[in-house]
Amino acid sequence: MTRYIKRHTLQTRITHGTVAVSCILLAITGLFVFVPALTTAVPPHVVLMIRRAHRILGVIIILVPLISAILAPKGVAHLFHNYFAKWDKDDFVWMKKFIPYMLAPKKIHMPDQHEVKAGQRVADGALIVGVLVMAISGIFLLAGTSFAELSASTMVVMRLIHDIAFLWMVIFGLAHIYLGAGIFQPYRGTRRLMFGDGNVEESDALYHWGHWAVDEIDKGEKITDDEEVVA
Amino acid sequence: MTDVAILYDSSRCSACKGCQSACKCWNGLPSPLEKNAVSCTGSYQSPPELNGDTRLLIRFDEAAGGSKGVEWAFNRRSCMHCVNPGCVAVCPSGALHVDAETGFVAVSAEKCVGCKYCASACPFGVPQHYGPEKTINKCTGCLDRVEQGRAPACVKTCQPGALKFGDREEMLAIAHERVALLKAKGYDKAVVYGENELDGLHVIMVEKYGLDAAGLPENPQINQVVDILGLMKPLTGIGAAAIVAGLGLSFLTGIGYKRDTLHYDEAAHDVVDMDTGEIVRHIDVESEE
Repeated sequence: MTRYIKRHTLQTRITHGTVAVSCILLAITGLFVFVPALTTAVPPHVVLMIRRAHRILGVIIILVPLISAILAPKGVAHLFHNYFAKWDKDDFVWMKKFIPYMLAPKKIHMPDQHEVKAGQRVADGALIVGVLVMAISGIFLLAGTSFAELSASTMVVMRLIHDIAFLWMVIFGLAHIYLGAGIFQPYRGTRRLMFGDGNVEESDALYHWGHWAVDEIDKGEKITDDEEVVA
Repeated sequence: MTDVAILYDSSRCSACKGCQSACKCWNGLPSPLEKNAVSCTGSYQSPPELNGDTRLLIRFDEAAGGSKGVEWAFNRRSCMHCVNPGCVAVCPSGALHVDAETGFVAVSAEKCVGCKYCASACPFGVPQHYGPEKTINKCTGCLDRVEQGRAPACVKTCQPGALKFGDREEMLAIAHERVALLKAKGYDKAVVYGENELDGLHVIMVEKYGLDAAGLPENPQINQVVDILGLMKPLTGIGAAAIVAGLGLSFLTGIGYKRDTLHYDEAAHDVVDMDTGEIVRHIDVESEE
């Protein structure tokens, strides 16, 4: 019988899902301001509709994680604890092997990892920083094009920051989708962690987060023998 | 039609604001009717700046001096219709474009998405945005009139003849002639503006009291950040292509990858490969702790 370890709560999955969908829609709607060819390809009222949608999505992507964090302060503390945990030898080895592993997964074997991999800390951290920068510059742009009078210099600098953050998000976002959605063969099945029931198969857990999987199985608190969700 | 231009001669301007009113009338731009709706600038300049429903403004520069205690310098503040307009270069929606016939910077307000990129790119601070969607409003050079062989509304209404309209070269010739005359009369600061600034403007100005009094930048420049913004599009394209190529290569090298099923025997503290039955590793619990 296959064993599963609970990895993400329903609230985490809903927050992640909302942010992920918002992020993709923000990128698509944002392209209609970023790429003139797209803007001119559709009627003006559609562009205005897209512009409104971009702003609404911008508010959603800021508010949802904030509300989620307020609702689960312990979860935020746990997340910070994991992301800022001291790096051990395995973390450094993992980072060193990452690029060769991505290009030769059949030959390169990665060391065991704790609850958050070294690479996750870097990549997820980069995504969080990117979202924060986009959110802050986006708030300035939203204010400056609606209710506030901001100087042209402030606006143009905020646009540049927004554009640079977009490039940043494109790079880390695509990599995140490639790995998180399990497009990369060794990561097959990881999609269900955030877009499924939040459980990870024992075998997958041992492969990806060896230290964490062993700890959790030893504790036995988050283990189930079927796909029933552990509260 | 060759490139045209509006000539503004400040030495002939009486600041009657007829041009300002004519612009509003022709373009159907409202003015606030409530008492004290427009803040006072302390001068006759009203409203204080170009705004969403004022495309043309007569600027008053006041300084103490002269036989009557005040010296006035007037200037016409509106779109300068640059030959190479920064606003058009950054407009993502095609709301701003150069009219091929006249060289004026034309506006298709219905295409404006309200991003205000144009305002950031304009060294004269001309583009204004208003309305529920905060879309652009700026001087169009009365293209609807010009296309019918008529002069812009502001030019048509100018009583003292401070505004002229015609072939750009012809307007420049008139401007230089006028400045030469002013200098001969002792107005040393008199200058022609718009001939070479930003590769040339389609509004030529005779500034009787110089550029400072007219509130015009001597060497207007488009914000350099705008140029960097222009680089971001190809850079993002290259970045996206590079990451897709890299991930694509990774995907190709991973084809055929198969991982054995792992199981952890918590009693023996062994991680076991279920397909081969081998112990992959033994967990030293004390050491792990």
